[in-house]
Amino acid sequence: MAVAPPAPTLSPPSRSAGAGAAAPQPSRKPAFRARMRARSAEDRIQSWRPRWFWASLAVPGAIWLLVFFVLPFYVVLSVAAGALDPIFQTPIPVWNPFQWSGASFANLFREASFLWPPFERTIVYTAIASALSLAIAYPVAYFVTRYAGKRKTLYLLLLISPFWVSYMMRMLAWIDLLQVGGYVNKVLEWLHLMNSKNPEGWLSGHASTVVLGLIYGYIPYLIIVLYAGLDRIDGRLLEASRDLGLGRWRTFWRVTVPLSRQTILAGMFITVLPMVGDYFTNQLLSATPRTTMIGNVIEGQLDIANLQGDGAAASMVLLALLLIPMIYYVRSTARASRENV
Amino acid sequence: MTSHPREGWSQRGARRRPLRSAGDVDGIAGAGTGSFGSRNAALGTRSSGMSRRDFMRMAAGGAALAGVGGLLGGCQRPGDADITIPLPRKNNPVRWPVFDDNEPIKSGLAPETGATLQIYNWVAYINQACIDGFCKKYKCKAQVTTFNTMSEAIAKIQTGELAFDVFFPTIDVLGPLVEGKLLRPLNHSYIPNIHQAWPDFLNPFYDLGWQYTVPYTIYTTGISWRKDLVDEDPYTMANPWAMPWNAKYRGKVAILDDYREAICLGLMKQGIFDLNTTDVHQINSSYNQLLELTDLVDVLIDNNDYTEIPSGQTWIHHAWSGDMAAAWEYMPSGVPVDVIGYWFPVDGRGPVANDAISVLKSGSNPVLAHLFLDYMLDLQNALTNIGFNGYMQPIEGVTAETLIDLKYLPKSLTSTVVLPSNFRTGVEELQLPNAANDAWELAWQQFGGGL
Repeated sequence: MAVAPPAPTLSPPSRSAGAGAAAPQPSRKPAFRARMRARSAEDRIQSWRPRWFWASLAVPGAIWLLVFFVLPFYVVLSVAAGALDPIFQTPIPVWNPFQWSGASFANLFREASFLWPPFERTIVYTAIASALSLAIAYPVAYFVTRYAGKRKTLYLLLLISPFWVSYMMRMLAWIDLLQVGGYVNKVLEWLHLMNSKNPEGWLSGHASTVVLGLIYGYIPYLIIVLYAGLDRIDGRLLEASRDLGLGRWRTFWRVTVPLSRQTILAGMFITVLPMVGDYFTNQLLSATPRTTMIGNVIEGQLDIANLQGDGAAASMVLLALLLIPMIYYVRSTARASRENV
Repeated sequence: MTSHPREGWSQRGARRRPLRSAGDVDGIAGAGTGSFGSRNAALGTRSSGMSRRDFMRMAAGGAALAGVGGLLGGCQRPGDADITIPLPRKNNPVRWPVFDDNEPIKSGLAPETGATLQIYNWVAYINQACIDGFCKKYKCKAQVTTFNTMSEAIAKIQTGELAFDVFFPTIDVLGPLVEGKLLRPLNHSYIPNIHQAWPDFLNPFYDLGWQYTVPYTIYTTGISWRKDLVDEDPYTMANPWAMPWNAKYRGKVAILDDYREAICLGLMKQGIFDLNTTDVHQINSSYNQLLELTDLVDVLIDNNDYTEIPSGQTWIHHAWSGDMAAAWEYMPSGVPVDVIGYWFPVDGRGPVANDAISVLKSGSNPVLAHLFLDYMLDLQNALTNIGFNGYMQPIEGVTAETLIDLKYLPKSLTSTVVLPSNFRTGVEELQLPNAANDAWELAWQQFGGGL
């Protein structure tokens, strides 16, 4: 037996109704009219814009990706799988995939015995630098977001100010600071933490110096991403947490941190990727075989004409390896979006 | 001197990193039948399960290498075939061919008018005053484009779309450049100043009859050190090439970031002066020496000899003479220049080299290009250039006395001066056969990887 739906009523819902009381059904007519008005507005828009209009807004981005990512990527792949000029021994890209050679990739895997130590170092240095970067950047970003008040913009400007100076110049500045007679040693001497007769050679192949350089070079990216994410957390959620009896720390750990999980992931992603491929920091601040990273190996291969194919192949393999965290990030973001919906 | 040539250089300073061409693959000692015929030969050894370091340390003999050859075939890239290009040596001088479709320009032509001479050069490797002087003399303009590595330069020239007139090649790439018809043969009638060059360069073994090149800079490779910080004096040591191998100076020793120079250092430490060796055992032994150097002193690899020795960041540095000749400009205040020393064998038996200047076929101003080569061979212009560049040119009148009088060089660094006799007693690092070069590169990559 079919149940008849409740008859719509024109009367507005009673504001006096308690939470447990059965709420009267609202009128459907105003909502229907609103929908119709909206639809007619859409129709009016559709009437003067073709169906592909909104999709076309993605064209500039797509062209950008095609020209500056897909094509260079294909060129690198064509060099990696390409040929050698018989006279100059320089790489010749082969554009036809059916004519590609796997020799450079084969070389790469056979070179694994000496590629592994730099790769291992890269993982360790990047992991330490990323963890320390997060430990530094998160409180900074949190402070600016929650406690900077009117000076928020000023602090933000100060935090991104390193971007105004080129990366190379910043690293060269560290050379001045860290050299034997530099200010770092002078301060350590002043604090009686170092004997002036035996100054520390920070630039003489210290892994810690390389990690320091990586942190310094990439931490602004992390701070900005964390700031953007933390700033979007609804303050009312934090207030609700406090109202419900959680203290500051528990609110932080149980509300703020979980809500910023995706932001942390994005920030780590943005800093880890360039750290893994970095060669310049290591080259300037260390330059010993004991601290060589995978980026240095690839850069070294690209410096020698007939090894450029191997360097291109190594770049491709590194990219493939970095796809793993990339895929994890994308899946994680998608899952978080579904949960929020 | 307002600035210095190395300002703005690539930090790796890899400008002397040679690009070798395809060539003779035979003659590798220990390789038996020559099956060790490509870099893949050496790479193939790793599939045996033995680590590369172990393999190199063991320096297995011909039998091991012969076994390696069979692993090669599948790894060759298309175009990895060998094309025979002569390898110039002192005992095998080479006269490059002049092709029918690439002949010298005719004599007596007037310089191009309203032209812009396109110069393709290393970064900061020529004094702008020389270029300005040339433009004023010949009423033209000039445009300098720079490169950081020879392979980068050749790759761009190869495209054929860049109309450079003048190029500054290293002599080890002459073969490919000539065979590839990228260089234009010279018409000597435009270059009378060649007679100002040292006699050794009037008929150099790498380009008999100087058909494609005139000499540019010259330099030696030796050891620089801080006299006030290092107890030893290489001039009194039995084997000065072993000076970097001293655990006492851990963290204070650096070698040049150049695979040929570094492996040559390991060879010379052992008394091997065939710096173009194709003997894989010798290459391996040098590799082992470099590994030992890392173990002993945690060696740095860079080309900043001219700044690190003055600043005291490193105390012993494998160095180029031209760099050290200019190092006095980098002395910190209060540190006298005579604390810097540069050692090169007194008997002249050490690495010596020169760069060259050539005219490119692709250029549209060949007459001006010839005249530019002539201009740079003039003593006064050469001195002007040395004042900026630091690197000497083999021109009559460029002597230690002249450079000291002009205050281009402190007296304490007279040992950086290259002598004409150095090119008779010294040893050159020249183009290698492919397979040998592969072995050199492989050793270098492994050493640099920090096994």
